[in-house]
Amino acid sequence: MKDEVLVALLGHPNVGKSVVFSKLTGVSALSSNYPGTTVEFQEGRVVHEGVKIDIFDLPGTYGLTGVSEDEKVATKLLAEKNPDCVVVIADATRLEPSLVLTFQVLELGYPTILVLNQMDVARKRSTIDVNRLSEVLGIPVVPTVAITGEGLDEVVELISKAGGRRSDFSVAYDSHIEDILRSLSDLLPDWAINHPKRGALLKLLEGNEFFLEKFSEGLKAKVEAEKNRFEAHHKEAIEVHMNRDRYGEAGRIISEVISPIPRKMSRRERISELSLRPWPGIPILALVLLGVFSMVVFVGAYIETVFVSVYQDATGGFFDWMALSIGGDLGAALSAGLDLTMMSIVAIVIPYILLFYLVLAALEDTGYLPRVVILLDSVMQKFGLNGRSVIPMIVGSGCNVPAILATRVLGSRRERLILSSVIILAVPCGAQTVVILGLVGSYGSIYHVAAIYAILLALIVITAWMMHRLMKFEPIGLMIEVPDLTVPRLDNVLSKTYHRVKDFFIIAFPILLVSSIALELLMQYDVLDAMVDPFSPITVGLLGLPAVTIIALIFGVMRKEMSLQLLVVLFGTADFALAMTVDQMFVFSLVMATYVPCVSAFSVMFKEFGLKDSSKVIVGSIFISFMLGGLANFVLGLF
Amino acid sequence: MVSENVEEYLECIWGLTQKGSPAKTKEIAERMKVSPASVTEMMQKLADMGYVNYEKYKGVTLTERGTEIGAKIKRKHRLLERFLVDVLGLKNEESHEEACRLEHTLSDESEKRICHMMNNPETCPDGDPIPKCKDDCSLCMSEPSVPLTDVVKGDKAVITHLVCDDTVKMRRIISMGIVPGRTLCVEDRLPMGGPIVLMIQDCKIALAKDYAAMVHVSPTGRCDRR
Repeated sequence: MKDEVLVALLGHPNVGKSVVFSKLTGVSALSSNYPGTTVEFQEGRVVHEGVKIDIFDLPGTYGLTGVSEDEKVATKLLAEKNPDCVVVIADATRLEPSLVLTFQVLELGYPTILVLNQMDVARKRSTIDVNRLSEVLGIPVVPTVAITGEGLDEVVELISKAGGRRSDFSVAYDSHIEDILRSLSDLLPDWAINHPKRGALLKLLEGNEFFLEKFSEGLKAKVEAEKNRFEAHHKEAIEVHMNRDRYGEAGRIISEVISPIPRKMSRRERISELSLRPWPGIPILALVLLGVFSMVVFVGAYIETVFVSVYQDATGGFFDWMALSIGGDLGAALSAGLDLTMMSIVAIVIPYILLFYLVLAALEDTGYLPRVVILLDSVMQKFGLNGRSVIPMIVGSGCNVPAILATRVLGSRRERLILSSVIILAVPCGAQTVVILGLVGSYGSIYHVAAIYAILLALIVITAWMMHRLMKFEPIGLMIEVPDLTVPRLDNVLSKTYHRVKDFFIIAFPILLVSSIALELLMQYDVLDAMVDPFSPITVGLLGLPAVTIIALIFGVMRKEMSLQLLVVLFGTADFALAMTVDQMFVFSLVMATYVPCVSAFSVMFKEFGLKDSSKVIVGSIFISFMLGGLANFVLGLF
Repeated sequence: MVSENVEEYLECIWGLTQKGSPAKTKEIAERMKVSPASVTEMMQKLADMGYVNYEKYKGVTLTERGTEIGAKIKRKHRLLERFLVDVLGLKNEESHEEACRLEHTLSDESEKRICHMMNNPETCPDGDPIPKCKDDCSLCMSEPSVPLTDVVKGDKAVITHLVCDDTVKMRRIISMGIVPGRTLCVEDRLPMGGPIVLMIQDCKIALAKDYAAMVHVSPTGRCDRR
């Protein structure tokens, strides 16, 4: 018995793999009731009776074909790490696809343990003969309920004592495929690859890139010829046929070990069903989105007021003292920069972004998001996007930075670029919402606010449609698994929110701090003031705003939410009604809402799309926002 | 429930009437290896049951219900023959006897599965020694496959094949468990060209129209209500 064991966790998306991992190792992994949360793998260690067990969590994957990104990562990591044991996590309520995945792991010769997770739900629906399943597959099978920890001790015990078991279980493929396997096998008398011959050859037939590298050109050509012959003969690609056989085998095993319990649909299932129907699904969807929005905006605004006053009371005098002790303009810039950064965290990050992430995490864990995606797919298709684009747009109404990262769920770069542009231009982030509500919301009327949102909505539609037209590629359609609705668990929601806010701090905080101090320095040395006159043709001429607003606009590139505070400084009053008319506020809010995002959003764009495309989007958005502002100014001037 | 004997008669009459004229009592008696008198008696019975139209001296034709049963049994018979020879490796003569017995007990579901498994009609190898191979194939084809986009809400269907030139897309479809031979149920079709919601075993999957058009299925009736 080894005293160090390397274990890989493998499973489909959304089977509770991340929860198993967290419970086993104590390392928190993000999990969602939404496919594809684990993008990279995570590692953790557990020590059981002197045996060190290193566990790594692979991204959720539907198979080991090595085609999609997650499958590539999974096959590659499996081969590189060469774990002593692979633990396949299956959803006991939908066992068939997990069995197919298990077959593939067994074919590659890994010692394996099969974990049947979510047994609590499965027990209500069917009786599973676990012992029989273990007998058929020739590996240990452990039923678990990961969220309560049931069965996990047994998993650890098994890993540390016996390890997984290699099994000579194999799917009986079509006789033609078996013939091909035999003939290829005869060609390779010397076997140096760390996998059973049969398994590796199957991967070769499936066209797994990672395995393709391991074979000679001659053999690959032969395999290609065999595949073509197979396809000509059966009128079906060999991969399709192999999977047909695998699912056939899985179905046979299922019918042997599972007997369904006759029952009526539970209330939760009925709600799950209804939420997917256009009626009442779409009204429910509208209510949910409205709920999220008003929660963030109204509750956020309330928390902001409370927090800001607490913050100002608590720090009162500290920054003056700091400015004085450092001394001079530099001291003033540093202290004001730090003050503003801290303030924006108190006023924006905590009330709006934290709240938004809490709501988002809860929503994710209910399993409702795939329903949003499905219900809105047909509408989104009209603009060359698919239903999945809704999620980044919802995220974007909190902050553009994670929204642009969230576009990764879309297949192609093209769709990602379209969507990111739409988000940057027309989806108002938390900070932009603050500006809109703080100006026209407070001083104008509900109609002004509604008008701005209507313009933004129109802008989303037009931009997406235009870009769809201009960039001629075929959009990728939607294919998504729909989980049942569940009640989110508080600990999971909290830990997820914590991780996301932490990420936000790591990306945004340094940029915030540096840019705040830099801007303060520019202010202190009157560089910004020098810009007021040269830019007045734009501010006064085009937009009809007071000339000093250029400073707020430039500041807005760094940090939108602070432009309001800056206006207070520039106008010398907190009552904006004294300095601007409602029309001017409307124009200013509109420009702010469509104007370039903050520096952090730009840096993410740059990271994801490169300098050329992100610059185009940024310059485009400045241009469009000034044009829109000018147009609004002109139209309002007519009345 | 139709008795084996009745099925056997209907199968025989179906075969005899394929040439386009009514079946004669004498022909039936020869095929069934019974006396013409018992055939006449049986024809009366079958007419009473509504399976045949029987007029003395003119011969026997099948009613709609009779045709349905006769054709089905014949299809099962030929399909079984091929299955026994192709897959199990029985000799031709043996397969006929065996198929004669099995045709009455083979469920419709198994018939369909065998049909799909053998991937008819394309798998008919050229120069196949089994007689009437083409016939068998066309019989099997009696339920042609349709794209999943044509299946109405609430219907279930067996996936027959995937039509897709793009390997990446095909692999995505396979990876979601949308694989020939599996049965799916169309739970919902969202309006305005929205996705189709499927249930395969216990997995619910939403599939955009363009993907659904690649999945060909053979409808098998209404979904089971839960």
